[in-house]
Order: sequence, then C-alpha cells, then structure tokens
Amino acid sequence: MTDFKQIENNLKNEAKRLLEAGEVAVVLAYGRGYDEKHSMPFAAKTPADVEKIVFNQYCNFNMARYLKRYPCGTKIAIAAKAADSRAIIQLIQEEKVRREDLVILGIPAYGMKNQKTDEIIDGKTTGGIYNPVIYDILLGEEVHGQPVASPYDVLAGYEAMDKEARWVFWKKEFDKCIRCYACRKACPMCYCDPCFIDQSKPRWADKAPQSPGNMMYHLTRFHHLAGRCIDCGECSRACPVDIPLYLFHKKVAKECEEMFGQAAGMKLEDKPVLVDFRVEDSDKILE
Amino acid sequence: MSFEPKILGIACNWCTYTGADLAGTTRLHYPQNLRVVRVMCSSRINPSFIFRAFQLGADGVLVGGCHPGDCHYNTGNLYARRRLAVTKKILEFAGLEPGRFRVEWISASEGNKFAEVVEEFTAQIKKLGPQQKLKIDELQEKA
Repeated sequence: MTDFKQIENNLKNEAKRLLEAGEVAVVLAYGRGYDEKHSMPFAAKTPADVEKIVFNQYCNFNMARYLKRYPCGTKIAIAAKAADSRAIIQLIQEEKVRREDLVILGIPAYGMKNQKTDEIIDGKTTGGIYNPVIYDILLGEEVHGQPVASPYDVLAGYEAMDKEARWVFWKKEFDKCIRCYACRKACPMCYCDPCFIDQSKPRWADKAPQSPGNMMYHLTRFHHLAGRCIDCGECSRACPVDIPLYLFHKKVAKECEEMFGQAAGMKLEDKPVLVDFRVEDSDKILE
Repeated sequence: MSFEPKILGIACNWCTYTGADLAGTTRLHYPQNLRVVRVMCSSRINPSFIFRAFQLGADGVLVGGCHPGDCHYNTGNLYARRRLAVTKKILEFAGLEPGRFRVEWISASEGNKFAEVVEEFTAQIKKLGPQQKLKIDELQEKA
C-alpha cells in the first residue's frame, strides 16, 4: 500500500500536470484546514493552487458532491477514493455528469479515519471496497490483503431487533435531528433543486426540528436514495448530532440489491434500479 | 366502542377504481373503513403520500393497481412495483408494523377480489389496532 504522503505527492504532480497542460479547468481535491485533522474540500484552478492540496487519513470527503457545481462541459479532474468513484459512476448513470468531461484520479486507500472519533473507516462503514471502481490515473498501488468485510455485516444487530425496538431506536435518533441538512449537503446524490423539504406547495413536511417533520424528512430521503446510495457514509460523518444515517441507507441498499440484483454505482452501463424495471420482477417483493 | 380503522385506499383509475365501481354496482358488501383516492396510475403514487397518510392518522394504506402487464400506460405499474416494494421495506425497518401497508393488483373485472381484499385488510388492521407510531400529535403540527 502506498502511504498517504506518497499519494499526496502523486496527487499534486498529476494536478499540476493537468492544469498546466490545460486538460482540465479545475481539480477537485483536498485542501488544508486549520489543522492537519481538519482538511477541507478544495478546488484547484491554477497551477499555483496545487501547493495547497493535501491528502492524509482524514480526507474522507466525497468530492463527487461538487461535480454538479460546474456547468456541463467543464473539464474536471477529481480525486476519488473507492466510494467516491461509485458516486461518480452513479452520477454518470443519472446523466448528471459526462464521462468524457472527467479525469478521475483514483486513490486506493485503507486506514481513512473519522475526523471526530479517530476511528478507522473500514469496509463496514464504506462500500466494503478500498480501490476505486473506475479511474483514469491511479495514484498509488492497489490495496490488497486488507480485511474485506461484507458491507452489510454491521446491520445484523439492527435487523435482529424486533420492530418495537427498532421504532424506539430510530425515533430516538431522529428526534435528535436539528434539521441542519448537513446530510443533504454532504451527499453526492442529493442534487434536487429544490429539495422536497424546501417546497412549500405541497408542503410535504413540517420544517420545525420536531419529531413528525424529522421522521418525514428522513424516511423520504432514504426513499429518494434507494438504489442510489453508494454507501460513502458522509451523511453520518457530517451529522453534528451523530445520527447513524448510514445504517438505514445501508439497509435500503441491501434490500435493493437483494430484490433487484444490482448494487449502486458499480457499472457505467447499469440504470438506477428505481427508474428501471423488469417484467419478470416477482410480486414477492411486495409481501 | 369498537375500533373503526381509517384506511386510505389509493386506486388506479383504469383497474382498481373501476373494480371498486364494479363491486358497487354488483351490490357487494365490504367495510366502510376505506377512503379511496383515485390516481391515474399506480406509478403516480409518490411514496411521500404514504408516509404522509400515516402521519395524518391513517391506520392502514392499501394501494391498488392493474396486474403487471395490464397497465393502461404499459409499464407504469412495473415501476410502481419496485418503488412500493422499497417503501414497504423502509416502513418495516423504521419499525412500523408491516401489515399496515399493502399493494394489491386488482383488475377492472375483479369486483369480488376488491371486496375480499378490503374485508381482509380491514380485519387485519383492526387486529393491529390504532396506528400511533407515525401519527402526528395535533398540537405538534398544524398542517
């Protein structure tokens, strides 16, 4: 495995080369925050900006979030870890970005850490993979030999709970929500404008941070991300009150994979499962 | 007083709603707990309708559509099938009783089936009792 410093240097070199050659207009990568632990999403637009790029174990942002900010046709280079590359594929499937506009700088990385808790983000809380699914340039050796947990293992405990216990658990979690919408901001797949929660006609849910509106917001958001969530876990890391949103997303992703036989963001030619159908889908899925 | 559930029925215009009509014209008896809303196709149903219905006090939601392959718009109910399956899983994982939400394919000629399904579903909801989990406390939100 290539160490983080080496990846940072490779990232800088590639960014510099691409910007100097004029191949891309912007490089989406990570920049320095107020200390090492708090890096920030960063867009380098000139070769001079490249010096500000960093990469360390705390750079777990999903930069695919920022692809939609640039007008269609802008050439973008993007630093993508495993989950981020799935987000890019999913965005391409949904025709939000075009493959030919992107230069994907793949980062194989194991040992990324949560900024808040310093825990290693392993395969359970990301998609279960450490190498980018799609890339043009790989900035380091592929990661092999790390424990590859099934991404759904972490769910077992919650699935074993009976429905009353699950209800109490989720109610308690959603009641904590302060409706800052950081989950929506961090999510690479949340690009609706306006979001259903911001609509006033019809008003789908109450906007006050109280139980009913919170429940409506979160359940609907899980539904909107069904079959599209690429399991980067950014929503739960962005959450200021630590709601384990990734668990619910993961559960929905698991069900979608079981029912429709396709995981989100793995192949460019797939269609998102909910805008597709098969005549031979079984009615059993409704039971 | 015995518990009379409120059940929201969302029926597709071409099959289930016509089926309900047929049940009516053939004088079939079925419980009056169902309030039917007509939509043009089962794929017109936004899953938020279902969440919102539960919040506004529905004890059960019954969605009716054409049999797969019979859709008036050819493929509408095939999309709806996938979408509503996900809705069901979400409600289940959130902790709502799985029996409160049901999808049935009822064609325009199946008045009998419509009456049977409503009867069965109402009995099921009666057994489950009032839906308290998602229901909004009136004081909390004035919709």
